[in-house]
Amino acid sequence: MSLKKFSELFVDLDSSNSTNNKIEVLKNYFLSNNPIDNSWAIYLLTGKSNKRFISGRYLKNLFSQIYEYPVWLIDTCYLKVGDSAEVIALLLKNKSTSRKKKLSNISLNELLSKTIPELSNLNEEEKNLQIKNIWERLPEDYHLIFNKILTGTFRVGVSIGLITKSISKLINIDEEIISHRLMGNFKPSIDSFEFLINKNINLEELNSKPFPFLLANTIEDKIFKHSVNDFQFEWKYDGIRMQLIKRSGNVSLWTRGQELVNESFPELVEKMSHIKDDFVLDGELLVWNFKEQIAFDFSLLQKRINRKSPTRSIQIKYPIIFIAYDLLEINGRDIREIKLENRRIELEKYFSKWQNKTENNISDIFKICDLIFPKDWPDALTYKEKSRENNTEGLIIKKRTSIYSSGRKKGIWWKYKVDPMQLDAVLIYAKGGSGRRAGLYTDYSFALWKDKELIKFASAYSGLTNIEIKELDKWIKKNTIEKFGPVRSLKPEMVFEISFEKIQISKRHKSGIAVRFPRITKWRKDKKINDADSLDNAYELMNKIS
Amino acid sequence: MRTKQEYLIRYKDGNLYCELADIWIDPSKPVKKALITHAHFDHFTFGCEEYISTKETAILLKERVGDNIKIKTFEYGEKFKINGINISFHPSGHILGSSQIRFIFAEEKWLISGDFKLQKDETCKKYEIVKTDYLISECTFGLPIFKWDESTKIANDISKWITNSPEKTSLLFCYSLGKAQRLLNEISQTNFKGNIYSHGSIHKMNNSYRKLGIDIKDTIKIENKKKIDELKGSLILLPPSLSKGSYLKNFKNIQTAFASGWMSIRALRKRSGYDKGFAISDHADWDGILEVVKKSEAKNVFFHHGDSEALSKYLVEKESINVLFFGK
Repeated sequence: MSLKKFSELFVDLDSSNSTNNKIEVLKNYFLSNNPIDNSWAIYLLTGKSNKRFISGRYLKNLFSQIYEYPVWLIDTCYLKVGDSAEVIALLLKNKSTSRKKKLSNISLNELLSKTIPELSNLNEEEKNLQIKNIWERLPEDYHLIFNKILTGTFRVGVSIGLITKSISKLINIDEEIISHRLMGNFKPSIDSFEFLINKNINLEELNSKPFPFLLANTIEDKIFKHSVNDFQFEWKYDGIRMQLIKRSGNVSLWTRGQELVNESFPELVEKMSHIKDDFVLDGELLVWNFKEQIAFDFSLLQKRINRKSPTRSIQIKYPIIFIAYDLLEINGRDIREIKLENRRIELEKYFSKWQNKTENNISDIFKICDLIFPKDWPDALTYKEKSRENNTEGLIIKKRTSIYSSGRKKGIWWKYKVDPMQLDAVLIYAKGGSGRRAGLYTDYSFALWKDKELIKFASAYSGLTNIEIKELDKWIKKNTIEKFGPVRSLKPEMVFEISFEKIQISKRHKSGIAVRFPRITKWRKDKKINDADSLDNAYELMNKIS
Repeated sequence: MRTKQEYLIRYKDGNLYCELADIWIDPSKPVKKALITHAHFDHFTFGCEEYISTKETAILLKERVGDNIKIKTFEYGEKFKINGINISFHPSGHILGSSQIRFIFAEEKWLISGDFKLQKDETCKKYEIVKTDYLISECTFGLPIFKWDESTKIANDISKWITNSPEKTSLLFCYSLGKAQRLLNEISQTNFKGNIYSHGSIHKMNNSYRKLGIDIKDTIKIENKKKIDELKGSLILLPPSLSKGSYLKNFKNIQTAFASGWMSIRALRKRSGYDKGFAISDHADWDGILEVVKKSEAKNVFFHHGDSEALSKYLVEKESINVLFFGK
């Protein structure tokens, strides 16, 4: 009923590494709490759209001001802890000496629908006073939860998948249905929870919601034993995966991250709403180079994603296209259970029908993906190697006889990505990590040679094993030249192989280049810094592909 | 201002050293004469010609490394002289036999805190406040985010953790000397009444504690081929070194936890790989360190064993205490 229960749930979930355990814990929580608090719990745990009421910085400054703690001391603590909400919760221990009535029984609903939103109506002074007041009245065990809600940083390693499984177990209904009900913006309310646990499946209410996405696995060798003819080959575009849905006349556009993005791409929504048929399409949204018929770089798409209601000129400057891979539902008929090759026939049939309606020319914003027909696997490999030329990341390989199930189901869809580009670079800066990596130096910057100078060209924080991270952390602490806050400049000594997906000119960087998805693929202990690559090598890479 | 060389005690080759007495404190390499604050291995090294410690520390050390070392022992508070310097051991509350060491020379008082804690611990003598001019203090947990809960509360949490999963075998990892005995003492006072097993290394230390007159609950020494059903719902104490590797394969359906002060931080808890962390420490927390600095009335403080930057700056800014640095 209360924040207490939720706090206990948090501790229980946090102190278990077993999925089954977590599902059991969640199930029991849902059983013993009321619908509205359950609904808030789901909202918080899935953490997608959690609002940030105040920033971590604000929280730290406020604490410093109230309890006369130097800000530098709080910042030092942060380096160890990696989470402002937790730092303040730890510092608040033994501070709530107030005699005021304790808020021990406050419900999750009251806190989230009243107490915290009301903060936004207060001026700064009142707001600070109110937060102090809550800190003092809230039992110590709840400070972490409260601070995390305030700063919108609620992540506990509970995925939507876990919630789905626990609710599916609770009411004995297929995970797919629950997963479907959980798609999109989950608005916490009694109704939304009751809808979630409703044992009757009502198609009508599911109308605008997308199907759970089917995801591709990284290719495995065993696939080469099969004939290429068993598979459908498509280019792997580097855009945003989406479902484009039209049901009962309404178009909705959903990302894989379960966001409804109609407002960002109004021209697509408008065009598609003129089609007579209802449908659910799975595909990719891209900024499209219509002249050359290839995708523009992902960075152009970024100019569109976060912009709601783009102006006409933005729409012209960054023209989008939706490339459909798959047809999942047509005129109310769910066809996910029929074979991919048959769904493809349907997709082609409807596409040509829609295209031929001259009063509504959709071809400037919508198409279906081209298929590739390699003769054999070596031929497929040749296609894959060519994918950079048309700005794709490789191939998607789909079993022709597969049905459209949800999640990352093994053995149906494969991604066959182009080998990354690589450069050997010198480690020059390190920064403390946050969250799970707090207290360790885990964010690194790498440089390439330009004449006799090392110029920073990329930052990366993934790719090393935990053992390597610890070893490097030790080295960093011993080989620091200078500290700037959390950043240390380092003696240039260590060489790493950095892999990345894309390389392009950038005016924003001193190096003049920007790379996409840089990551560490090897610690080149065998190399001296003079063996590292130069910026010229990077330019060569760039010229090779364009 | 004196130079570093003129301090009665200073850092030499990474160890605390008193030149006038030609004596080292917890040295990490073989020397002629070594004062040992307590029997943990990171404070002891083989090969010194002579060791000096409390009676309890000497007995624990001999249990651990054999009789083949020459140790001279003194009672807490008993004064002895080396090269005209008055030296005495005082309880530091860290583990059984642990001590602070006081030096007095020509009216000037120095105190080495050793590893210490102020919290309740029925398995060793309570920390004794000792006044001093110079304090050399450990600061393992020298940040204000470290504030220990009462050990009784932690013990109750552990008890609940075990009894809430009656189907499982609960493996609690902890240091075999000191922490294990303190936990046993606390857990035996909770509602948990199931079987407690302990690893050989812990079992041995339990016996040593008992010989020294500390009442430690009897535990069953864990054998490798225990029946799984028998272990269900019971608690097993193991040293942290066994948490990684194949040892855990001896058990089925387990839950694991680590008892350490570092477990108060979520990131460290998650990274440690244990299911659960219990934040209980035999070192002082932030408030504990500040209290000792204040009550010792030291005008000059040195820190070692830990990241002392923040603590030093805080004492200088907020408490106007002179914090000195040995240099390395």
